[in-house]
Order: sequence, then C-alpha cells, then structure tokens
Amino acid sequence: MIRRWPYVALTAVVAVAVAIWAIPELDQRAFFGYVPTNATPTMLPSLSLDTRVLPDSAKVMLLAAGVTLLVQVYSTAYMGKDRRYRSYALLIVLFLVAMIAVVATDNLFVLLIGWEVMGVCSYLLIGHWWEQPQSRAGAMKALVVTRFGDLGLLVAIVVIGQTYGTYSITGAWVGAADQGQQHGTAIGLLVLLAVVGKSAQVPLQTWLPDAMPGPTPITALIHAATMVAAGVYVFARLLPLYGNDTTVMTALAVVSGVTMLLAALFALVQHDLKRALAWSTVSQLAYMFAAIAAGAADVGISHLVSHGAYKALLFLGCGVVMHAVGTSALSAMGGLRTTLPATFWTMTIGFAALAGIIPTVGFFTKDRVLESIHVATHGETPLPGGVAWALLVVAYVTVFVTAAYAMRLWMLTFLGLPSKQHVEPPSMTWPLVALGVACLALSIGEPLDLDTAALSTLVALAGIAFAWWRQDADLPGPVQRPLAAELGLDHPITRLIPAGTIGVARVADAADREGIDVYPRGGAVLAGLVSSAVRALQTGRVQVYASVIAVGAFVVVLVGVIAR
Amino acid sequence: MIVAALLVLLAATVALMAAPDRFRGRSAAGLGAAASALTFVLLALAWDGKASTSGEVDVAWIDVLNARFHLGLDGVSWPLALLTAFLTVLCCWWLARSGAGPAPSARFVALLLVVEGSSIGVFASLDLLLFFVFFELALIPMWFVIAYWGDPKDQAGRRRAATRFLLFTVTGSAVLLVGIVVVAIEAGSLQIADVQGTHSVLAASLIAIGLAVKVPIVPLHTWLPDAHGKAPTVGSVLLAGVFLKLGTYGLIRLDVQMLPSATAEIAPYLAAAGVVGIIWAGLVCLVQDDLKRLVAYSSIGHMGFVVLALATMTEAGVTGAVFGSVAHGLVTGLLFFLAGGLKDVHGTASLTALGRGLYERTRWFAVALLVAGLATMGLPGLAGFWGEYLSLRGAYEEGALDRSLAWTLLGVATIGIVLATAYVARFVRMLLQGEPTPIDTDRDLRARGVVVALVVPILVLGLWPTLLTDLLGSGVMGTSLLGVGR
Repeated sequence: MIRRWPYVALTAVVAVAVAIWAIPELDQRAFFGYVPTNATPTMLPSLSLDTRVLPDSAKVMLLAAGVTLLVQVYSTAYMGKDRRYRSYALLIVLFLVAMIAVVATDNLFVLLIGWEVMGVCSYLLIGHWWEQPQSRAGAMKALVVTRFGDLGLLVAIVVIGQTYGTYSITGAWVGAADQGQQHGTAIGLLVLLAVVGKSAQVPLQTWLPDAMPGPTPITALIHAATMVAAGVYVFARLLPLYGNDTTVMTALAVVSGVTMLLAALFALVQHDLKRALAWSTVSQLAYMFAAIAAGAADVGISHLVSHGAYKALLFLGCGVVMHAVGTSALSAMGGLRTTLPATFWTMTIGFAALAGIIPTVGFFTKDRVLESIHVATHGETPLPGGVAWALLVVAYVTVFVTAAYAMRLWMLTFLGLPSKQHVEPPSMTWPLVALGVACLALSIGEPLDLDTAALSTLVALAGIAFAWWRQDADLPGPVQRPLAAELGLDHPITRLIPAGTIGVARVADAADREGIDVYPRGGAVLAGLVSSAVRALQTGRVQVYASVIAVGAFVVVLVGVIAR
Repeated sequence: MIVAALLVLLAATVALMAAPDRFRGRSAAGLGAAASALTFVLLALAWDGKASTSGEVDVAWIDVLNARFHLGLDGVSWPLALLTAFLTVLCCWWLARSGAGPAPSARFVALLLVVEGSSIGVFASLDLLLFFVFFELALIPMWFVIAYWGDPKDQAGRRRAATRFLLFTVTGSAVLLVGIVVVAIEAGSLQIADVQGTHSVLAASLIAIGLAVKVPIVPLHTWLPDAHGKAPTVGSVLLAGVFLKLGTYGLIRLDVQMLPSATAEIAPYLAAAGVVGIIWAGLVCLVQDDLKRLVAYSSIGHMGFVVLALATMTEAGVTGAVFGSVAHGLVTGLLFFLAGGLKDVHGTASLTALGRGLYERTRWFAVALLVAGLATMGLPGLAGFWGEYLSLRGAYEEGALDRSLAWTLLGVATIGIVLATAYVARFVRMLLQGEPTPIDTDRDLRARGVVVALVVPILVLGLWPTLLTDLLGSGVMGTSLLGVGR
C-alpha cells in the first residue's frame, strides 16, 4: 500500500507558505518608481531569485496553492489504488512550485523555466496512464503544440533583453515607462503566440480537449484552474511592454472573440461531459483575454480566479461522476441528483457560476468583463472602437451559448430517473464543498453595474430557456454535424502538419543515407580511376619508359625554347 | 600543471600498454579512472583567473619551423579540457560498472586515455603546429576503438564505419593543415597570439572547411551516424562529448578569435550551414529507428546551434558556442551512455526491437532517458537551454551577419527546437510508454552513479549558467578578441 498522506502534507506546507507570503500583498499598491537592482545591464543570462508579488499575483498564487491542496486531498481517494501514485503526487508538487515561480518571479528566465516545467508536468500527467493510446497521443500533442507556442516567449525574451538591457521584469517596465514602449508590436505578438499556445486559444486550441484522457484531478488543476490560466496572467504581467500597441490589442481581441464563441458552440454539442467542460475552459479563458484586450487586465485576473474556483469544482465533480458511473459519456448519466447529492448541490453552484447566475462569483466577474468591453467601445483604449463593438456583441452571444450548454450539461447529468446507488467518498466531496463555498464567498464585495447585470441576466435566462426547450435533443443536423466535428480545425494539427513533416523527414533521411554520400563515393571512384590510369602506365617495359622519357625531354626542351 | 596532467595520462597509458596482463577488466578501468580523475584535479588547479593565460608553458620545440611547445588555458579552453577529463573518468567508471558489453581490456582503456590526452592537448595548444599534431594524434586511437571494440555483431560494418570516419577526418585535417600553413606564411609565426588579426580569407575558409568535417556541419556529416551506430558505448560518448568539441573549439579559436576579419566574410555561409544542419538533423531524427543513430543526428542539430552562435561573432554568440559545447558534452554523453547501455544489454538499439513500456520494464533506464530527452530538447532549467538561447540572442544582435539573414536564421532555428521536442516525444512514446512488452534480456541500469554524475552538472549549469558564462566575456587572451564585428 502506498502512503498517500505525506504528499498531502507536503502540498499543505507549500500552500501555507504561499498563503503567508501572498496574503499581506493583497492590499499592496502597484508602483512604477522601482529601481532595478542590477544597475549594470547584462546581455548574458542572469537568473535571480528576485520576486515581485503584486495584488493580482497574490490572488493567483492563493488560487494555485488552494486548488492544488484540494486536488491532493481529492486524489487520495480518486487515485488511491493507482500503482504510480508516488510519481503522480510528486509531479503535482513540482507543478505547484513551477506555477508559483511563474507568478511571483521578477526574472524573465525564471518565468520561462517555470512556464516550461509546468508544460512538462502537464505532459507527464496527461500521459500518466501511458498504457492507453489516447493518453500517449494527447500528451505528445500537448507538448509539441505548447512548445511551439513557447518559442514566442523565448524569442520575446531575446527581444526584451536586447531592447531594455535587462532580464528583470520590473526593470523592463521602468525602461518602457521612461523611453516609451520599444518594439511593442514585436514583443506583444510574440508573447501572444506563447499564451495562445498555453491557454489553448484559436488556432492552437485543439490540444486541450485532447488532454482529457489524463486523470480528472489533473484536468481540474492544470487544464482548468491554473496552468492554462497562467497564459492570461503572463500576458497581463508583461502588458506594460506592449499595452499601448493597437496591433497587439486588436490581434488579442480577434483571437479571444473567435475563440470564446467557437469553443462555447463546441461545448454545446458534445456528448462527453469532460470534453464539453474542456471546451468551456477554452471559451472562458477567451473571456479573460477579451478583458485584457479591452484594457482591463485586473478584470481579466478576477475572472481568472473566479473561473479557477468554479471550473476546478466542475471538473472535480465530473471526476466523482466518472468514478461512480465509470465513464464520462453523458448518455451513461442522468438521475444522479439523488444518488450523488453532495456532488449535485456543489456542481449546481458550479454550473450556475459558469452560466453567470447571481449570486455566484462567476456572475460578477463575467459582468465586469462585459462592462470593460463596453467601456472600450468609447474609443479611449488602444483597441479600435469598431473591434470593441464586435467583441461586445460576440461576448453577449457567448453568454447565451454558455448558459445554454451549462443548463444542458446539468440536466443531462443530474435530472431524470436514478439508475442505481453510488458512493461519494468523503475525501472527494469535501474539496467540492470547499470550492462551492468559495464560489459564493468570493462574490462578497464585488461591484455591480445594474445595466450590464440586467442585460446579461436576461441573455443568460434566454440561454437556459433554450436549453430547457431543446432538452436532450441535438441541434438541427446542418448545425450539429460540423460543430460536433469541431469544424475540422484539428485536421491540420493532427493530420496535415505531422504527415507533411514525416514525409519531408523520410525524404531527408533517404537523401542522407544515399544522396549526400555522392561526393565521398565520387572521390573513391575518382581515386580508383587515377590509380588504374597510373597503373596502366606502369607496364614494366623499359622501352616504353625510355620512349616516355625521350618524348618528355623533347617537350620540355621545346617549351623552353619557345618560351624564350 | 597542464604538462603534469598530460604526463599522468602518458604514464598510465604506458603502464597499461606495457603490462596488459597485469591490468585485466576492472583494474584497467580503475587505473584509467584514477589517472583521469587526477588529470581533472590538476587541470582544475591550473586555473588562475580569466585575466591571464592559465598554466602557461612555452619552450622551444622545432627551431627550424619556429614551432614552440606552447600550452595554456583560458576561459574558452579550460571548461572543455575539464569536460574531457570528466567524461573519461565516467567512461572508465562505466566500463567497470555497467556489466554489459565487451569486458574492458587494458589496451582499450589505454586508447581512451590517448584520446583524452591528445584532446586536452588540442584545447591547451597555443602553437598552431602543436595544435595540429595533437589534433591528428586523437584520430588514430579512435579508429582502433571503433574497429576493434565496436558493435560485436557486425565486424565488417564496424570496420567500414571506422575507416569511413578516418578517411573523412583525415581529409578534413589535410585541408586544415593547408589553412594553417597559409596563415603561418602570411604572418610569419605559428603562435596563435602573434598571428591574431591576419586577414586571409583563404586561410579562414580552409580552416573552417577542415574543421567542418569534425564538428560536423551538414553536408560533411555523413560519417558521424555510422561511426556512432557502430562504436562501443564509451567510444560514442567520447566521440560526441569530446571529438566534436575539437571542431567547435577550433572554429572559435582559429577562425573567430585568430582571424576575425577574414572569418566575418565567411560567417554568413557558416551560420546558414549551421541552421540547415539544425533543421536537417531534426527532420532525420523524426524517422530514425536506431536510438544511437537518432542521438547522433540530434548531436548534429546541437552543433548547428553552436555554429550559428559562433558565426555571429558577438559576445553572446561566442559565449553561447562555448556553453553549447560543454552542455552538449554532458547531455549527449548521458544519452549515449543510455542508448549504448541499452544496446549492450539487448544487442540492438532499434526502437522496434527494444519494444515498449520501458517505464515498467526497466525503470531507471526509462527515467534517465526521459531526463536526458528533456535536456536534449532544450528545456529551460537544464544545461542544454542556454547554448540555444545565447545562439538566438547572438543572431538577434546580428553581429557579423546582416539583419535580414540573421533574423531569418533565427526564425528557422527556432523550428529546430519544435522538431527536437517532437523527436524526443516520439521516442518517449515508442520506447518508454505503451503496453509493456517484456523481453528476456531486460535488465535495469547498473551504473546509476554515472547517470547521477551527469544529471547533477546538467541541472547545476541549467539553473546557474553564470558559473560558466562568467569565465568568458570580453578580454580573453589579453586582447579584445571577443565581440568582434559589433
């Protein structure tokens, strides 16, 4: 039997340390008067342990530590019989440390190290059940796609280092404040590439749904609450380096607008609870990016924290359901309201938060996102007014779709007739209760804008009514089929690019074995020819040698005479 | 100190050669490890700061040619010399511990020590002729290592690979020698410090082409996969960890530092060839079935980053070239220990023949391969990353290249990082993951100490890069050789 509690205790120690560190920073004010500690800028890499915890950083750190702790507790039951529990639990701790490094550090290299270590933890944990083909495929896809995006961050650090002569984030902020944002477009677009990869936005969105074969607690932690949201955080963190750039902000708005609606529509047509929640994550991350594009990074971070709580709740609840039913297919569910009561009540809060129903925290933070986009339509931010209006319309449509799919998933999972008895292990339900309470408690003191609240509630109720009207029926065929096929957007990433690369690689390999060796082989043939020619001269007959010498002497004399 | 280090190796070699019957099996490997460890310590003690040439020796040698026995170490050569001694210690340790593959014999260990000593000689030479003599001296024992102790199942194949290796590198050396002669005639001296600054594009090109075989730069690389495919495990480690460094070190010392103005003219071609190598090797790795050949090609990719870095001729770039060389020695050394170890145990390194589920079957091999794989794909926080980063940084600064070329190369080179991720993920998926298919020969890693001894410096250099970068910077060898072209 594997001892499981030591890993929970280890995580708890880290979480408490984070809390002691982060809570006092919640009230701190951000300021730009900071003087970088390394006065002589270096072009060579320098790692430093300097940290810089702003209020938003503290919130994200507390979210990460809290969800990680709950997931460790939950895993003692969910993964209790797993033979590889030790590597699983240790990777979670490593992940938490990397996440804290990303959030708290002031050094771009430490940021990059944490960023990539999180990616590797995600890769290893998606592939935790590596006997299954879909786990192996999902893990490899996640690693390669996110590493492709990470190139953006790598090159962005090269450019920042060269532009501002420092690898300190605060130092670069100061530089940008003093001399204006240099190379803002380049840096911004490069960072955008990185966060599009990590946060699974269009066009690099497909790795996240394919990461679902990983253990469900991992999905809740890494692929919903923290790592994928770290993209939002990092983009906000580096915003002072490119926040005034219209190109970057427009690109971000387009990416987020397209992603939020598409992913929500994909979620609406899924027949698998876990995959639907994965698409929902993609869609909600796009909301956060939309807030940043509208110039309200703190609103984006608020939605990040709120989403972290309710989406972790939903995934952990999904885990309880899968634990009971044995599958994540919606067709196998229904009627779980009475057999899994604690899961039902907590997940109801989670779905309400996702749909944006008052008084859950999801309602408040989503409304603030909508409100900030509305403010951006006044044209006072770098985002062009027209783009902001388009984004606002898309965001409201997405509110409708989100409410519809949340309602649909809730009905299909919990309503209907109960099938048989199930059990809810207490170490799995307590984390759900804690997160459910958080989803309500976090809304205390949130500001409320009445116009936005009224409109968004109307739209959400319309979505719920729509879902009630459709019940478990699919959408009409011409709409349902392409959406269920996810518009074939995955095709290039799963088929065309790998197949093309492997094809080119085979040609290169064949050329390497056969083609490039032409010159050494040619050299060998040439040497052979020369040696046989020389051998032909060496007949061994004195008469021939004498004749050659005579002719040669004659030619030499002749040349000598003519040359004079 | 340097001379003492070389004499230790010479004495150990003579002892092993003279009395091969005294030293059988582990005692031969033990003597080799002890001699190399002593060499490592002596070389480490030789360092006296980056401001001066450490452990300098300068005595008359061949008066007619004006050649001198002139040795000394600086921030570029010292880490590489230490790496050489360190890897040889690990090779001998591995021979004593691994318990698979051919039993270590006195002659084999003696050959390894000759390779080690002559490589250290190359790194320490400050006289062109002496450089060349050591350079050639390292070649011959490697032929014996591959031809006599290589793949036991394929006698003809290992001979062919060894001869191919020898012919390629000797041809390269011939070109290199002509280059050295041209420099010596133009400058009237064989001392690297005196010759520095000569403008001879011909000499710079000849030296670059000659060394390109050794690095190797695509398309002069075809000897390498064959040689690695057939070489014994420790032969592969030294070939990758030390031999390729002779090439990159030569390019830094003889071209970038000694002939900067001439090298600046050929730098665009060098940089482009390096980047072509990154992509080419990354692609070929994606479809390799033999793990040793795969690692060999990945080496070519890493060397491509090193060549790009040094061709930029910026401070960041040259630092990156040294860093990349050292990191590659550690990372690829580890990979070759593991790939070679698998081949020694199972008699094959073919991914299909080795089967799947190594995580379950031989856990230590699997975890070590995973770590080495992460390092080889340039994961930040491990040593392999910094060489690549500084290489890109150098390219961004343009240096000796013009902007459009430099930035294009930068963009293309980053694709190589994705390819590296893909081929690592592929071999993890094919070999480590999957429903386990146990075979009779399954046996877990024995020489775990060797693996730990390599993982620790990979981590330390990954998290503390200034350990190495602080040795460099402007002002190496008393003149501002670095930073040319800016």
